Amino acid sequence: MMKQKRYKKSIFLLFSAFLVCFSLFSQKNAYDKGKDSIIILLKEYSKTKQPQIPQKAFLFAEETKIDSLLKVTYVNFGMKSYFNKDLANLTLTEKRLHKFYIKTKDSSALAKQYYYKSLFFKIQYKIDSTFYYLHKSKNISVQLKDSLEATRRLLSMAAVQFGENDYLGSENSIIEGLRLVEPLDEVFFTGLLYERLGNVLFITERQKEARKKYLKFFELQKRIPNVKIKYEKARLYNNLAKTYEAEGNYVKGIEYYKKCLSIDSLKLNSLYRYEIALGGFSYNNFKLGNNKLALKGYLAVLKSKEKRNHKRGLAALHTLLGEIYASNSETNKAVFHAKKGLQLSKEINLTNRVLENLLRLSKLVKGETGRQHLEAHFVLNDSLFRRERSLKNSFAKVRYETEKKDIENTLLKKENSRKQLALESQRQQKIIAWLLTGVSILFIGFGVSIVSTRKKKLIFKAKMEQIEVREKERQQIAKSLHDEVAGDISMLHLNLAKTNQTTAAKSLDTIKENVRNLSHQLSSESFDKVSFKNQVINLISDFFEVDFRIKTQEIDSVDWRKINNAIKRTLFLAIRESIQNSKKHGQATVINLSFNETKNAVFLTISDNGKGFDSTSKKAGIGLKNMQERIEEINGVFSIESALQKGTKINIEISKSGI
Amino acid sequence: MVYKTKILIADDHQLVIQGLLCSLNEVGDFEVVTTTNCDDAFKLIKASQNTTPFQILFTDLSFDNATEETRLPGGEELIKAIKENGFDLKIGVITAHTETNRVYNIISNLNPNAYLLKSKCNASEIGFAIQKMLQNEYYYTHEIHHKLMRRNIVQIQMDDVAVQILKELPNHPKISNLEGVIIKNDGTKIKLRSIETKLANLRINLNAINNTDLILKAKELGIID
Repeated sequence: MMKQKRYKKSIFLLFSAFLVCFSLFSQKNAYDKGKDSIIILLKEYSKTKQPQIPQKAFLFAEETKIDSLLKVTYVNFGMKSYFNKDLANLTLTEKRLHKFYIKTKDSSALAKQYYYKSLFFKIQYKIDSTFYYLHKSKNISVQLKDSLEATRRLLSMAAVQFGENDYLGSENSIIEGLRLVEPLDEVFFTGLLYERLGNVLFITERQKEARKKYLKFFELQKRIPNVKIKYEKARLYNNLAKTYEAEGNYVKGIEYYKKCLSIDSLKLNSLYRYEIALGGFSYNNFKLGNNKLALKGYLAVLKSKEKRNHKRGLAALHTLLGEIYASNSETNKAVFHAKKGLQLSKEINLTNRVLENLLRLSKLVKGETGRQHLEAHFVLNDSLFRRERSLKNSFAKVRYETEKKDIENTLLKKENSRKQLALESQRQQKIIAWLLTGVSILFIGFGVSIVSTRKKKLIFKAKMEQIEVREKERQQIAKSLHDEVAGDISMLHLNLAKTNQTTAAKSLDTIKENVRNLSHQLSSESFDKVSFKNQVINLISDFFEVDFRIKTQEIDSVDWRKINNAIKRTLFLAIRESIQNSKKHGQATVINLSFNETKNAVFLTISDNGKGFDSTSKKAGIGLKNMQERIEEINGVFSIESALQKGTKINIEISKSGI
Repeated sequence: MVYKTKILIADDHQLVIQGLLCSLNEVGDFEVVTTTNCDDAFKLIKASQNTTPFQILFTDLSFDNATEETRLPGGEELIKAIKENGFDLKIGVITAHTETNRVYNIISNLNPNAYLLKSKCNASEIGFAIQKMLQNEYYYTHEIHHKLMRRNIVQIQMDDVAVQILKELPNHPKISNLEGVIIKNDGTKIKLRSIETKLANLRINLNAINNTDLILKAKELGIID
């Protein structure tokens, strides 16, 4: 039996383990399946740029109800809609991420949400908002200890600041980023940070240091797998050449640009770097007076840039061409390129080039137009200066205020937690106090109950003893009545009979009978000698008559050996008294004795079909009164129900231990 | 040579002893010894074991003359002591006690060979009782016999199983058919062997010759309708 149970249990365990595995597996399966579909949609979106695809993907992912899949979908499509310059879907993604954050409280989703908000502003060239949200996103990532994400945000921040000429701010962001990323031993973003730092150093005229950073960047890139190092070398040469160029060391500049250009199939595989190298080579030659060589290079680059419509490059190149034609005194060509450069620079907000072109045009074009160009140059220059300063200020302000808020927040948090702690300890103290009170009350209650139980038990025991004593007394009286009084009467009776006094003898005989009955009533047998059940049977048989039935029910349901003798005696006397009453006063023909027992008490119900009496009248017979007294003396409960012509019912309940 | 039947009488009342002696003289020739207390009675019986043992003891139950020093204060104790010592003699109780509990206690626990009542007994009854006792039979005077009878009836009435058997018996040609029909209080069925034992006991208790007689007696006594 036991074995079988264990067997069943193990089967059940196996089965539940299988179920768990299956559910995990099926969830994983659903995740993989969902992921595959999402990837297909993602590819389609980046290819066709259809604006309804992200929504479709989101709906699909939301149906799976797998949070991890949902987040991945949002993040990927957000990035793609940025690349596709799909503002509507970028906003949609940002909103979905917010919802997701509210639902899951996943702060990394919030960081992403802020990042996409910043990208949303970046597309619209709203630089300060872009910076604000980048900063917010970065702070969350820092709090989450997600250093890589924070570094990426800092890289973007540094780029924004660099673009707005806030070189000090940019440098700060880079340093912060490096601090975060360095423990990770990461190469890609670390490298980019070093390059950006090189750029900052280059622009702030610290060429030697800049070169060191560029070299470091190159060293790091060597460690990136799957990177064609020879093209990265081109990048390095370009960067180094740029620094020498800035130092006025055009020969060295040309040397590096040449190194770069000599890299095999550069034009084919890294056109952008080829253009930079060629442009730089030409510029340095121009600076050294080799105008012919420079012009040739510029034109080649121009052709290449025009081919791929690289506006930023074109703006720079037209400006440079304007410069070279101006120095060659080919005014018409110079004006043409300067105007073209001005137009392009304005288009893409390239203010440095705008200024340069305006200045050049003011020199090249005579008269009113030239003056207007010069004026525009000054106005722009001034506004640029102010803007730069205000932007720097606003960047600084963003940083300062966020930091201040952070400090305030931490202070508030500390305060809060301190208050919470105080509250908690107060509550704990309260609870402890209540517990102590409760325990002591329980303890006292327990003590009191023990004492009272003991007292009750003692009283009960004393009462039992009292009953035994009384029993003995009754026994004694019964014996005296039987042996002495009845004996004497017998002798008297004999004497009277001998002297022929028959009437006196007869009446003496009835007296003798009465005395004997009385003695019988008083006498009793010990329950140790004759069991309770047998005594009841004897009692019933004493009342045996053909038309008078005494029925018993469930007398065996009580384990009488375990019941105190005094209780049994009380019940026995109650039964006898009741039968006598029913027969004598009630003229009953049937009496029912019904016994029952619980853990703590014995129950007896005596009912008859006799005349009954008005139980509301207070006149109770002496026998009934005695019965009630005897029962209540041992803490029993006695009740009697009767009505005229309805018979009588007596209920007795006696607790076994007196409690 | 024929020995006289040796009888010991123990009673605290001299009058009763006299009466008994008279009655015994009427019915036969006995060697009778009398005593008024149980301790002496026991000593006499014990002493007689080595010579000619008593064959019959007539004893009362209550002895008024018992004191603190008395070892056997009454007839019950005396009978118990005799039984415990394994003395082989017939015991008759002659008493005034008719309380059913007392009678039942004496008869079921001490199993005397005769139970006589002082008030009702006469010489011929004593003679009859002695005759029965010597034949190793039991004799209970009419009142006591009647008491025990009634008691048996009540006991049978209270016994569910017995009542069931008595009710079912006329409905079945064979006793073995009763198996499975008779059911105990707790719902279990009673085996044939137990039914047969019960029937045997019932026949004894109701003084029935056979099962038909048993049913008739049971009906007569109102045990079954």
